[in-house]
Amino acid sequence: MAIKVRIPTPLQNLTNGKAEVECSVKNVKELVDALERDYPGMQERLSEGGKIRRFINIYVNDDDIRFLNKEETALKDGDTISIVPAIAGG
Amino acid sequence: MTRVGVFSASLRLRGSTELAEVSGPVSEVTRVELIFKKSDLQVIFNHCLAAAPNEACGMLGGKDGRVEKAYCMRNAKPGPDYYEMDPEEQFRVMKDIRDSGLKMIGLFHSHPMSQAYPSSVDVSQAYWPGTQMPNYPDAVYVIVTLMNRAKPVARGFSIEEGKVSEVTLTMV
Repeated sequence: MAIKVRIPTPLQNLTNGKAEVECSVKNVKELVDALERDYPGMQERLSEGGKIRRFINIYVNDDDIRFLNKEETALKDGDTISIVPAIAGG
Repeated sequence: MTRVGVFSASLRLRGSTELAEVSGPVSEVTRVELIFKKSDLQVIFNHCLAAAPNEACGMLGGKDGRVEKAYCMRNAKPGPDYYEMDPEEQFRVMKDIRDSGLKMIGLFHSHPMSQAYPSSVDVSQAYWPGTQMPNYPDAVYVIVTLMNRAKPVARGFSIEEGKVSEVTLTMV
């Protein structure tokens, strides 16, 4: 069982319209690298200087990686990763 | 059913809806429509008024353009001209919407001291950072102005790829 990654609408043009993809990686940093390898352009959309961009929330199952180990958060087969744009305004 | 372009309600519920004067730019009106129950609208207005002078925010779950559940949420960075949803609450509410068999069809927030029209921050935050790809293209952005606290006014908008279009709001 691999890791499932839920892709938000604005990134689906990079995944040929797929809302969910799979991969097998050890942590969130490797996940970004793997997504870039399979869907070029993904890294630039997700991160800057090796860190996940500010208005992007990443959850491992039900947990925000900010409260786990951020980009070093460990992943295992069977996990579901959700990439969810933050909601803000003024 | 009362079909109006914009509508308002005061704190005390009245027997009939009142039309409010629309002040501010008039956008192109789309064919999209969002339908609210009067009780949900009152909950939204009360949430916005309670948060003033800071902005309030929340999410709308529903289907086929009909709001079934209005979620009043916390402004994690409260200010008179800014809101940010708490990521943990955002995730929990989006999950509840999904588990209820609904879709996230709208996002609401208040403008305590300005018009019910998307600000430049509203527009820029509607897109994926560094792009004009809308984060939630199917969501109606509902803005409640509290410029007259006795008479909150709500307007709805679609924000897509650099274009703001008005959405008809209907109360039943």
